[in-house]
Amino acid sequence: MLELRDLSKRYADVLALDRVSLDVGPGEISGFVGPNGAGKTTAMRIILGVLVADSGVVAWEGRPLDAESRRRIGYMPEERGLYPKMRAGDQLRYFAELHGLGPDDAAASAERWMERLGVADRAGDAVEELSLGNQQRVQLGAALVHSPDLLVLDEPFSGLDPVGVEVLADVLTTESRERGLPVIFSSHQLDLVERLCDSVAIIRSGRLVASGGVDELREGRAENLWEIEIAGQADPLDGLPGAHQVGPGLVALDSGVDPQSVLDHARRIGAVERFGRHRTTLAELFREVIADDRP
Amino acid sequence: MTGPRAIRLTAWREIRERARSRAFRVGVAVQILIVIAIVVVAALSDGGTTTYKVGLTGAEAAEIGRELSEQSAADAEIEVSTPASAAAARSEVAAGDLDAAVADRALIVPADPDDELTALIQLAAGRVESESRLRAAGLDSAQIEAALDPKPLPIADAGGESGSGSGIAFAGTLLLYIAIFSFGFVVTTGIVEEKSSRVVELILAAIRPSQLLAGKVIGIGLLGFAQLAAVAGIGVAAALLSGQIELPSSTLSTLALVLVYFLLGYALYSCAFAVAGAIVSRQEDVGSVTTPLSIVLVVGYLLSFSTSDDPSGALATICTLLPPTAPMVVPARAAVDGLPTAELIASLVLMLLAVAALVRLAGRIYERAVLRVGAPMKLTEGLRLARRG
Repeated sequence: MLELRDLSKRYADVLALDRVSLDVGPGEISGFVGPNGAGKTTAMRIILGVLVADSGVVAWEGRPLDAESRRRIGYMPEERGLYPKMRAGDQLRYFAELHGLGPDDAAASAERWMERLGVADRAGDAVEELSLGNQQRVQLGAALVHSPDLLVLDEPFSGLDPVGVEVLADVLTTESRERGLPVIFSSHQLDLVERLCDSVAIIRSGRLVASGGVDELREGRAENLWEIEIAGQADPLDGLPGAHQVGPGLVALDSGVDPQSVLDHARRIGAVERFGRHRTTLAELFREVIADDRP
Repeated sequence: MTGPRAIRLTAWREIRERARSRAFRVGVAVQILIVIAIVVVAALSDGGTTTYKVGLTGAEAAEIGRELSEQSAADAEIEVSTPASAAAARSEVAAGDLDAAVADRALIVPADPDDELTALIQLAAGRVESESRLRAAGLDSAQIEAALDPKPLPIADAGGESGSGSGIAFAGTLLLYIAIFSFGFVVTTGIVEEKSSRVVELILAAIRPSQLLAGKVIGIGLLGFAQLAAVAGIGVAAALLSGQIELPSSTLSTLALVLVYFLLGYALYSCAFAVAGAIVSRQEDVGSVTTPLSIVLVVGYLLSFSTSDDPSGALATICTLLPPTAPMVVPARAAVDGLPTAELIASLVLMLLAVAALVRLAGRIYERAVLRVGAPMKLTEGLRLARRG
């Protein structure tokens, strides 16, 4: 279990983090989302000890993180970084050894991850000779090569091609489901976050504005939205009491309005091609939460 | 993981990656070739035996020939021929077939006579003449032999400056200056490479900044030490093998002093070069930030000439005691026998103290500056950072 407790960090006159608290349990994948500059990277760098918080604690298994336990984290910084002239395979071996693996284990693990990430044939090439997508895969390897107990990945999906996205999604779910790793990653690709994550933390201007399971958030937030499409009708339910057209094929119903009576009404207008409760996407939730919170 | 293991890993990475680079290999090969070339050129210009062709004809030709063959020195061989006549000898010398000739007690030389050969022939002819006069005076062969074989004067070494001693000092100082500067520069570019490629954040998530810095400085230093020892060792070995230059007995101690002062000088300067690397973020800024350091090094190098010329002067003593100039000045002074032991010890102690102080300061500045990216930091700002907690 990774626990962030009341983390605060100020840069000159900007409050980058304002008492942020967050838990990530074993086997849980947590998505960290928020607009640019919201404080995601600052929080992750504090977890890794690369930055020091002004106040607050990061705890792992109930104890504050120290240099030794931090070495068990797999980290992918927002600013990608590898030695440009060092061979990809050597690089992964080096990082594995820096995290405490012996030379033989490091070599075996580096080879295994190069294989799994689909860059085994480039092990002998200098990183600067690889395509950006392959560099990104090696970067992921550097985060995973020492079999970490916890993954902290800052924008791991950016820069990956669709095949790479699937490979990484598979790696994250496997590591978390099978090895019970807590995983926290930030992303702007909300559809991916929605698909992969058990929980989501939405941060804005340094403050955590929503966090919890994706379904939980949906329940708490969802208005009574219904999708309805009638052949040949653009705004079929205009004027129906208690129903408000909020978008193309999307109707908000006031509480107490029976959806079945709305359907009956719709059938009188024309052939109903689609009718059902709208499942709020994370993207909509995100927009709502960010908008609501605006002062 | 323990600190020593982290330092060993980072040091080993530096050694492996740099030793693998083409630039490093070419550089070492070129240095070794230059050293060998210097030795070979010195051997060729210095030595080798010269063969003179001398024609002898007419009176006393045989006697002069015998004396000449006894006179021929270690580095000159004389081939004697007998031209048919004085005229023939003259034309052979004029044509360059002979280097000189003696015909009927006259020495025939070409337009540009060889002084050494002329002296040899004069000496031989002189002995023949002396011998015949002594014989005319009634001495027997044994007496003549004794009279013509005076004991050479014994040679006493008065000590003082020796030419090859200062030669080795010159070479050692140059090597030190080049090595400290080039490997210090590698420390700066290595740190900036880690900053500009951002890999430093990934490394510092695993080990402490001081461990990364120590590993880098030690790795590059060991590689530099090995390179310096190899180049200097090959140079000395080549010189000894060619047998052409006689090394003074102080060579080995000078060489040892060069290596010791490389280690100390590199330790001192690499701290400064590390700070230089930590306060900038881009390779473009490396030149300007290392300029002050290279100026200090150049000044030290130039001062070493004056202090070798006047190894007992006040300037020499000051430069020996000041840590930034000591690496270039001390081995040079020692090579010309101008360094009192007390000053050497004082210099070593001050060097070690300076290194210990600078290592701490550089480590603190590095830790606080290495993750900062952007415009070059002012040194005063770096020092302010170092004072804080």
